[in-house]
Amino acid sequence: MDNLNDLKAIWHSAKTDSLPTSVEMEQIIKKFRNQKLRNKWLTIVVSCLISVLMIVVLFIVPFKLLVTYLGGGLIATSSVLLAATNIKSLKRFYQLDDYSNLDFLAFIEQTRQNQIFYYKKTMVIIMLLCSVGLLLYLYELTYQHLFWFISTYAAILVYLLIMWFIVRPRSFKKGTEKLNATRQRLEKISNQLK
Amino acid sequence: MTDFEDIYNRYAPQIFRVCLGYTNDADQAKDLVQDTFVSVWKNLSGFRNQSHISTWIFRIATNNCLRAVKVAKRMPAAELPSNLADTFDESPEEKLSFLYKCIAELEETERVIISLELEGLPQAEIAEVVGLSNGNVRVKIYRIKEKLAQKFKANGQFK
Repeated sequence: MDNLNDLKAIWHSAKTDSLPTSVEMEQIIKKFRNQKLRNKWLTIVVSCLISVLMIVVLFIVPFKLLVTYLGGGLIATSSVLLAATNIKSLKRFYQLDDYSNLDFLAFIEQTRQNQIFYYKKTMVIIMLLCSVGLLLYLYELTYQHLFWFISTYAAILVYLLIMWFIVRPRSFKKGTEKLNATRQRLEKISNQLK
Repeated sequence: MTDFEDIYNRYAPQIFRVCLGYTNDADQAKDLVQDTFVSVWKNLSGFRNQSHISTWIFRIATNNCLRAVKVAKRMPAAELPSNLADTFDESPEEKLSFLYKCIAELEETERVIISLELEGLPQAEIAEVVGLSNGNVRVKIYRIKEKLAQKFKANGQFK
């Protein structure tokens, strides 16, 4: 071997015949194109459905107490907020395709910042609205029957305590670890482009 | 606008080689090719010819490579065996494997740049893909080639 130009010959000797044909690739794409964003889409659809359902129920059923409407309104609002946050996030994913590597690193960093904001603010607001909404909404349905009132609220309180003090901190910790790993990696790669 | 089939047939082998150069893992490279063409498929109708289609596709592919965190975990910095001379063989497969191992020792962005260079992209296009100036890319390519040359010389590959 005489010089680095020979590297190109070596490079092009890589076998590519194991790649799927264009027809096979189109089939794969049709099957898997939305798989990665499926959870986000699912969250959006379910949140919208809950929100619409709650509003319809509030309009159709003649509730007597104001707290029921207030509770229902808070649940619907938290669902709308959750859907809106995920739609905003989806929009960013769909817009990312024509970035240079340098712009892409900036995009990933912005996404990381958004995720930190989500964990620290948006998630807390959504959970708070939903929790208070649920507690208010169920009051009218149970307050006339002591047994149902106590058992329902005990169950809900246990559920909310688990969500607030076990699930949310774990999710936050897991997300933070992932985000810190991303930050370290981004810093390393960004420094290479300076 | 060229249709998807033509684009795939033309660029898939190139994208595969670039991803393979970056990951040094054929299965992961195939996954990255798939991710790249999922994006191409979704966005082809919206592609506005503001850049060459090749630049656009290589941008998507190299961004997917940079995002692939698992690659970094799987590929420690010291991938090369300490005694290279004993491991080298003259067969084309071994030469290629040695080249990939040398590239694997480079930093992430250097892997992207040298892969595009070896693929034959003009340096101006590489600069567009990476987001650096032409001059900067030229200097980086020179330095990367020097690094590779040292590795190959150390292994008795260059006269």
